[in-house]
Amino acid sequence: MKREGSPLKGVGTIAIKEAADHMTSARMHLIMLLVLLTAAGSVWAAIGQIRVTTAEDPFLFLKLLTTARDPLPSFASFLGFLLPLVAIALGFDGINGEFGKRTMSRILAQPIYRDAVLFGKFLGGMLVLAIALLTLWLLMVGLGILMLGLPPSGADVGRGLAYLAVTLVYTGVWLALALAFSTVIKTPATSALAALSVWLVFSIFWSMITPFAASVISPLDPTNPMTLLSQYETQQALARISPSVLYGEISQMLLDPASRSVGPVFMSQLQGALVGAPLPTLQSILIIWPQISGLFAAMVLLFTGAYVVFQRQEVRA
Amino acid sequence: MTQRTHLIWGALLACALFAGPAAYAQTDTTQTTSPAQAMQAHGYWLTTPSPDLTIPAGKSVTIPFSIDNETMVPHLAALALTGVPDGWTYSLKANGFDVQSAMTAPGEKADLKLELTAPAGAAGNSYPVQMTAKYDGGQLNLPMNISVAAISDTGATLEPELPGLRGTATSKFSFKLKLTNNGYEDAMFNLGADVPDGFHVTFKKGYGSDEITGLPVKAGSSENITMEVTPAHDAQAGDYPVHVATLAGDVTAAADLVMEITGTPSLSLDGPQGRLSGTAVAGEAKTFPFTLTNTGGAPASNVKLSATAPTGWKVEFEPSSLQALPAGGSQDVVVSIMPSEKGIAGDYMVSLRASADEDSTTASFRTTVETSTLWGIVGLGVIGVAVIVLVLAVLRYGRR
Repeated sequence: MKREGSPLKGVGTIAIKEAADHMTSARMHLIMLLVLLTAAGSVWAAIGQIRVTTAEDPFLFLKLLTTARDPLPSFASFLGFLLPLVAIALGFDGINGEFGKRTMSRILAQPIYRDAVLFGKFLGGMLVLAIALLTLWLLMVGLGILMLGLPPSGADVGRGLAYLAVTLVYTGVWLALALAFSTVIKTPATSALAALSVWLVFSIFWSMITPFAASVISPLDPTNPMTLLSQYETQQALARISPSVLYGEISQMLLDPASRSVGPVFMSQLQGALVGAPLPTLQSILIIWPQISGLFAAMVLLFTGAYVVFQRQEVRA
Repeated sequence: MTQRTHLIWGALLACALFAGPAAYAQTDTTQTTSPAQAMQAHGYWLTTPSPDLTIPAGKSVTIPFSIDNETMVPHLAALALTGVPDGWTYSLKANGFDVQSAMTAPGEKADLKLELTAPAGAAGNSYPVQMTAKYDGGQLNLPMNISVAAISDTGATLEPELPGLRGTATSKFSFKLKLTNNGYEDAMFNLGADVPDGFHVTFKKGYGSDEITGLPVKAGSSENITMEVTPAHDAQAGDYPVHVATLAGDVTAAADLVMEITGTPSLSLDGPQGRLSGTAVAGEAKTFPFTLTNTGGAPASNVKLSATAPTGWKVEFEPSSLQALPAGGSQDVVVSIMPSEKGIAGDYMVSLRASADEDSTTASFRTTVETSTLWGIVGLGVIGVAVIVLVLAVLRYGRR
């Protein structure tokens, strides 16, 4: 039978309801408290470091996000590590939780299509993440203005907003992954573990796995120095499968205006170059645009996978 | 007879014996008894070192003279000059004042000056003049013979060590001049020079560093002057006369000098609207309108344009060489810069060089390399494909 109307009817309602549920859940409060504390701690440490060491910098506020002081890592690396956790916490029981609570049939009893449920869940999660990240970002900028006594420059704000947008996309990848696992796996605990395993592998073990894999795929030939380069390129290509690596490259490029390339650079390419001159914001974005579009495409494809699986599932009352 | 002869001898001897002590006593009344001062001159004199002299007609000359009192008492002498022809002017001076008399203490000497001007018509003759000093005990006379010469004051001369110098429009021409004062008086000479427009002249004394506008030269001596002429920067090649003159009252001295400026071409390479920076996309040629100008004073020949750029870059000039560029002329040069395809975004220095046979210039052009937007489009394509997959999935599995 042919069905009428937009498949996305009711998405807004579900998304707002979902967001409201997240906002009031103890799970979200706990994980955001963790993020907030670590972020504030790292920025506080960065401000102390900047006050001591930096006399003048045209991109002072970007330094807030990248400066690390032992034992705390920088704000940017903290976010790269912890944000997947937030996304997984939001999404790991998105679908199978509804089945577990036997509420899925009640939702689908409403005059909406099944599409709206998954879209709504994803968009609701993204809404919560966007609000959380924006708050965090404003908090950091406010802390910086308060402690450094300087307003951020236009380039600071531009790069900061681009960083914010990319961070949202990065978190969206993990939300889509968690939703996909919650669709495929019936038990919420298993899907949470599966998502956490992927997160652990990509965040921690991936940097150990890729050199091994690269040396197997393109072995070194002592007589041919070019194999050194090809092995490095293979390793980099493998490493870029990890969203964490892509996100790290993007944040390095966006938050350090003087960096010019994320790949290997030959001496011949640096000949005549004025090293240290900051790139225009748009140029920096253009350089890591492949990474950004890769992250975005990964988010969309993961969601599509979850969508296809969910649409084909049997839903019983 | 013999007895009378003896008597005469005796009388003569007696006279001699008496006369001796009498002469001594007479001397004692006017001379001091000290043996050390016995040889000193004694008297009251009017003297001049040059009683017979030649003076120029129409010029004021100063003749020194003095009154020397070597007596026991001070003397007041009224001075007068007699025998001075009509038309002459004179005055007696002591310590800067006009004086009519002089007072000299015992053992003192009064230095006086006679300032005398003979009219121009008096030339060729000799005049006896007498200076008199009347004092209560008599009168001192000092006859002088003054000849008046027709020769006038010979003034001053200005002699260049080297009358002609050669150099480029950017070099400094340094003339050494010797200024001699042949007059009878010290004089303050003002210095001046006629130079072409735009040329700059400074005077210095000797090898000193202070700029001067004039300098004093003692009578009969000379001073070294350095005249430095800086030509106008756009001076064309050629000979430039320089007239340098000095003036002290009515005494002038002048010298004519020649500066030979050998023109040199001076190239300059200017970027678009004077800017020396531009933006180019990696792997794509971009043209910048440059201007090559010859600001020198001579044509530049055989001008070649070349560039030093990072490896993999292509820099081309249109035109790439010129047969000649006339003085003051300019030529538009289109510079095409193509950064390497593998160029990393950022700023690079490209050194552009224009070299003629005589001169060369270098312009550093800061090129901002932008990443090709090709990958941006590819990235958008990837996102587009992902979204299309989602849309297809919705179309296929939607509305359940």
